[in-house]
Amino acid sequence: MPDMSVLAGPQQHQFNPYAENGGTILAIAGADFTVVAGDTRQSEGYSIQTRYAPKVFRLTDRAVLAVNGFAADGNMFVKKVKQRLEWYRHAHAKDMPLRAIARLIQTMLYAQRFFPYYVYNILGGIEEDGSGAVYSFDPVGSYEREACRAAGAAQSLVQPFLDNQIYFKNQTAAPGQSHPTHLPLSDVLSIVIDSFTSATERHIEVGDGLEIYIVLAKGRSLQGVEGLRGLREMSSREDGERVFVLQRELKKD
Amino acid sequence: MECSFALTGKDYVLVAADTTSARSIIKMKVDEDKIKTLSPHLLMAYSGEPGDTVQFAEYIERNIRLYHIRNLYPLRPQSAASWIRRALAESLRSRQSYTVNLLVGGFDTADKTPHLYWIDYLGTMATVPFAAHGYGSYFASSLLDRYHNPDGTLEEGLDALRRAIDETAKRLVVSPGKYTVKVVDKDGVRVIDL
Amino acid sequence: MNSFATKFSPTDADIELRRAQEIAEEEGMSDVMWGSEAGFGNLVNGHAFNIPSVPDPSSFLRLHTDDHADPNCKIKIQHGTTTLAFRFQGGVIVAVDSRATAGSYIASGTVKKVIEINPYLLGTMAGGAADCQYWETYLGIQCRLHELRNKERISVAAASKYLSNLVYGYKGMGLSMGTMICGWDKTGPAVFYVDSDGTRLKGDLFSVGSGSTFAYGVLDQGYRWDLTDAEAQELGRRSIYAAGHRDAFSGNTCNLYHVKEDGWKFIGNYDITKMHYDGPGEVAGAPGGGYGYDVRTQGRFSALAPTVPA
Repeated sequence: MPDMSVLAGPQQHQFNPYAENGGTILAIAGADFTVVAGDTRQSEGYSIQTRYAPKVFRLTDRAVLAVNGFAADGNMFVKKVKQRLEWYRHAHAKDMPLRAIARLIQTMLYAQRFFPYYVYNILGGIEEDGSGAVYSFDPVGSYEREACRAAGAAQSLVQPFLDNQIYFKNQTAAPGQSHPTHLPLSDVLSIVIDSFTSATERHIEVGDGLEIYIVLAKGRSLQGVEGLRGLREMSSREDGERVFVLQRELKKD
Repeated sequence: MECSFALTGKDYVLVAADTTSARSIIKMKVDEDKIKTLSPHLLMAYSGEPGDTVQFAEYIERNIRLYHIRNLYPLRPQSAASWIRRALAESLRSRQSYTVNLLVGGFDTADKTPHLYWIDYLGTMATVPFAAHGYGSYFASSLLDRYHNPDGTLEEGLDALRRAIDETAKRLVVSPGKYTVKVVDKDGVRVIDL
Repeated sequence: MNSFATKFSPTDADIELRRAQEIAEEEGMSDVMWGSEAGFGNLVNGHAFNIPSVPDPSSFLRLHTDDHADPNCKIKIQHGTTTLAFRFQGGVIVAVDSRATAGSYIASGTVKKVIEINPYLLGTMAGGAADCQYWETYLGIQCRLHELRNKERISVAAASKYLSNLVYGYKGMGLSMGTMICGWDKTGPAVFYVDSDGTRLKGDLFSVGSGSTFAYGVLDQGYRWDLTDAEAQELGRRSIYAAGHRDAFSGNTCNLYHVKEDGWKFIGNYDITKMHYDGPGEVAGAPGGGYGYDVRTQGRFSALAPTVPA
């Protein structure tokens, strides 16, 4: 009996090098600090591949990058960004400024315009003037500086919450009062944690663990972070900008 | 929709092209000149894929001009049309071809005869007494079969052209509004207000 | 070059360097990647873009990025916009909305769709955000080089033609941009429409994007060459409002620019909802009161009863 399946029609092959690995990232800029966070679950479809796959990475003492989308592309991309930053350090004997890293990321993403990295990037850190900054990117490199941004699987759950709590969208200030332009670090941290616990409740691709990176401007006191459970310092020096990471558990079901 | 017409007369060629530049349902421009003067006695109306049209027309324009500068005399209409057709035909076999349709009209000053060539994006060329491209051609070809006079005066030619344009305006759902009309004869190229 | 002899010959600085360069070239790196080169270092030596090894790269790209054909495609490139620019007696007005959508999700309401190429040139953004941002930044670099080489500013015509020729080179590869290059040069105010088909049109008035028909409706009717500065700015604002109101893919805010002889000036950012109810605020040319039809005609049409304030 000949194999009839061969005769059924031409065998079609499609080149699909992409996957969607879930998870969510977010970043919020303060007056003199920036918070960048991401959950650590990595999944494909309904299967969880790992409960700890970091999506947020320290680039320099004043820059942190969060990547979301296709994990393999994301890890490769972060690796290449880090390599370019190291080269820059060797060529110029200093760390690349944040806005330059943002432009670098644009050109690196756009170089893949016809074979894109399937990743959404959020870059957070401290600008040369000492202000907190967040840059968000699309997969082919269009970018913009913003005050807060959520991306990934639960962006449509988290972003409206952030709009309301950070930008005070659709809130009216009490008579004679106005909304603050920047929130204190402690408030921002609780908003971030609440965002992720809530997203975990309502989105199947979010959960397991939470990593929150905190970048503090040069000379800023640790006010708001000291004594926090599960806090680790990542900075290479004490007299510049400082980076901390805060780890929290999220529900694992 | 883009329309262009052309016809020969006793000692002239008339070329007309609509002046609209459209993107989907929007007219982006209503006074675009889509007829290039390639040499003192040669006209070319072009239409087709946006982008390709102007790039190709400018390429032709500059090469015909280069020939004129190098040799101190311009290419005769027959030779120019052959060269233009060859450029399109070669592009058709390349990775990215020019999708451009042309009407090339010229007056040969050597033997005092008008010439008109219909060329499409595949590199098909036909020597014709009258021609049209676009949806307008479905109305104009039969109309000009009936009304065109190869020995007609300029006024007769303009009458026939007016009929073709009016008929297109009357019957074509998406007919263009305005046309540029140019004539080439022994005195060179002139723009005509219909 | 990779012969046994070269590989293991005694360390000679020249050979060492050449070997390093070979390795770098194999991995697609160039010397300029070590430095900055304005962030555009990857464009030198020609090996700019990585192309997938498939028979038809553009259909590969379309498969993964075209959300019109397949709403579930992985990579969403933002679409939907209203941008406009027009020339008048007092210069050029450029007005755009600020909404970015990915499918039906509003990805951002604060997008800068006017790209400041240099102090005399503005570009607008419609279609692929990255395509516009990247190539118009690149155009800015080329315009500066033109200035340094020729001791003279580039004309708007030349700048727009540079961009048009550039994108025409990528025709069929999947770039998506519809842009207006606006500025002031020796010839006065100028506006050119350039898109990724390779079309380049000179004109007085253009609008691009999903909301452009709505903007044209207001713009064409209110347009005159001899508009005053205040009237022209108001017309730009009012047209973007109209598009933001009628086109679901446009909205949030309006960014307004005015180009004059001494370069462009940012006029302001206007909330479209606010313009609907209260108008643009204390600005010259504004009629006072909201632009909204229901606000403008309050109570004069019986079927539309005035809404009860919340």
